[in-house]
Amino acid sequence: MEAKKKDNNLRAKKEKLFSGVLWLNVKVMGLVFGLVCGLLIFVSTNWLVIKGGHTIGPHLGLLSQYFIGYRVSFWGSFIGFAYGFAVGTLSGSLVGWIYNGITKFRN
Amino acid sequence: MSDKPVVIIGAGPGGLAAAYELSREGIQPIVIEKADTVGGISRTETFKEYYFDMGGHRFFTKMERINRIWHEMLGDDFLKVSRISRIYYKGRFYDYPLRMFKTFFNLGPLESLLILLSYFKVQLLPHTEEVNFEQWVTNRFGRRLFRTFFKTYTEKVWGIPCHQIKSDWAAQRIKGLSLIVAVSNALIGTQNAKSLINTFNYPLKGPGMMWQRFSETIEAEGGQVRLNSAVVRLRHDKGRIVSVSCHKDDETEEILNGHVISSIPISQIVTLLEPKAPDKVLEAAQNLSYRAFIIVVLILNKKNLFPDQWIYIHSPEVKVGRIQNFKNWSAAMVPDSQKTSIGMEYFCNVGDDIWTKPDTELTDMAAQELLELGLAEIDDITDRVVVRQPYAYPVYDQDYEKHLKVIRNYLRNIDDFQTIGRNGMHRYNNMDHSMQTGIKAAQNVMGANHDLWRINDEDEYHEVAEKREPWQILTEKALILTFARMDKLAFATAIGSVSGLLFFIATIWLIIKDGRVIGPFLQLLSQYFIGYTVTVKGAFIALGYSFIWGFLFGWLFAYIRNLMFAFYIYWVKKKSDILTFKDFFDHF
Repeated sequence: MEAKKKDNNLRAKKEKLFSGVLWLNVKVMGLVFGLVCGLLIFVSTNWLVIKGGHTIGPHLGLLSQYFIGYRVSFWGSFIGFAYGFAVGTLSGSLVGWIYNGITKFRN
Repeated sequence: MSDKPVVIIGAGPGGLAAAYELSREGIQPIVIEKADTVGGISRTETFKEYYFDMGGHRFFTKMERINRIWHEMLGDDFLKVSRISRIYYKGRFYDYPLRMFKTFFNLGPLESLLILLSYFKVQLLPHTEEVNFEQWVTNRFGRRLFRTFFKTYTEKVWGIPCHQIKSDWAAQRIKGLSLIVAVSNALIGTQNAKSLINTFNYPLKGPGMMWQRFSETIEAEGGQVRLNSAVVRLRHDKGRIVSVSCHKDDETEEILNGHVISSIPISQIVTLLEPKAPDKVLEAAQNLSYRAFIIVVLILNKKNLFPDQWIYIHSPEVKVGRIQNFKNWSAAMVPDSQKTSIGMEYFCNVGDDIWTKPDTELTDMAAQELLELGLAEIDDITDRVVVRQPYAYPVYDQDYEKHLKVIRNYLRNIDDFQTIGRNGMHRYNNMDHSMQTGIKAAQNVMGANHDLWRINDEDEYHEVAEKREPWQILTEKALILTFARMDKLAFATAIGSVSGLLFFIATIWLIIKDGRVIGPFLQLLSQYFIGYTVTVKGAFIALGYSFIWGFLFGWLFAYIRNLMFAFYIYWVKKKSDILTFKDFFDHF
């Protein structure tokens, strides 16, 4: 019995994988979400610019309703990136912050 | 540290390591050995200039210090040997460590299929408890593989059915890889595993050469190694050893007030105490059992018999358990390179029918079995000798722990008295672990406070931990963080809240801007969010809908992520378990 207990303790000490709960790094989450959102808008905008055509990106252009100054153009893609990065960073950080808060409460 | 004499009983690896450690610190120990040679159960015997090892001892350790001492002792006489060994089963040789595809090829398609089915069956319906060895092995490799490769040999070694052997033994001997090492190996192949080692060190003229060097070093530092000397009595009073009586050449000498480190069987040492140990302690000692071992050495007039250092004989038709080919360990083990010396190993109990057989019958049986196995002709045998070794393996039967505890509890009350090594602790230690117990016991004499009973459990782990490079520690930390379980509810709530908030703000923003037509495109969301409009009320409806959808998405993401990670860990663990199967018998 004693040996079994000791063995279990030792195993627990050794086998730490999947035994703990994941904590999110708020800053990293913010950065990752920010970069993903920013790049998504940057690439989407430039893709439409490269494709060209009669009217370039009428629907994507609607983003300007939220991102003041944004246009479906090469320079607009940088503005879009900045806005996307800001929104993404805020969202990601918020996800991380809420997640950690609830996890802390539950554990 | 006191200036009392230190008496070490038994000159096996544990006793000699203890004496060596003390000698290095300027303490001159007295080592008392009953036999006429040092080495204990890992000694090397000699017959007509043929050297032979009592059981085949590979020198391999994860303990850096022990490894260093071994190399310092022997220098160039410490050979590096590439290991060759096979299993003999039903007239066929199987490469060992086992190679999966070759093994299946040898077994044939039907038997292989049945083994696989049996393996999958036990994965789905494992034994709910792992109390005995049979359950332990079956749960890992399946019942059919257990019957094919494990049952016969294990029962030859232990002489009792596998269901009577405690699973502790397998768990202690076959530690396998921890999850973190297994995952780390699978991902980046970082850490070496003992189970993958295919080379080992070996002294030029057998393990006895190593122990002889230890003995010489101890004596050079002023210590004494007294051979052919038996301890006959340990007098104790008020929880202290007051004298150790040794018998040599019909004379008895008393060594007073010494520290005592004993590596002889723990069941024997308690019987030497005076005043007598309580009856329940003596009874517990009687109930500890040991497996004995007989080696029948045959000298054959053949240059090459087989390439292996040893062969495991799983066939139930013969009694021999293992065959050693000593010249394949080191060519210097035989004086004539045109001849071969082999050791036919029989596992038995003191007093049973094998143990009591006269030497001539034993050598005849060995010769006959060698013929039956098709390895040599009887006419090839030119010489033969038998050596018996009682107390070769402490037996982990169902009650050994209970009996050992009674003895340990009693001995704990005697100060300056420690037991070490395989038999001293009734533990299936390897040479390195036995030496480690000796070294720690010596350090205790010098004022340290090590718990020797924890060495086999934790020391190797600490050794590995201490040896790790900083980048390995970082990798381990990163793996622990990466593979931690994600809290599904927390993640779902976080994603739900943020997406709800985003849609809420998006709607409110358009209302604040107050264009001529408010959000004609955002209004399209009503296709999914029934009742949604670009109004303040609609903003709250969007918040509700997107929270629910975000929550479901977050929960599912966390669930799938955890499931995938768990599956990956399970897969890697199974793979590492199967890896232990490859070299399972090395742990015997």
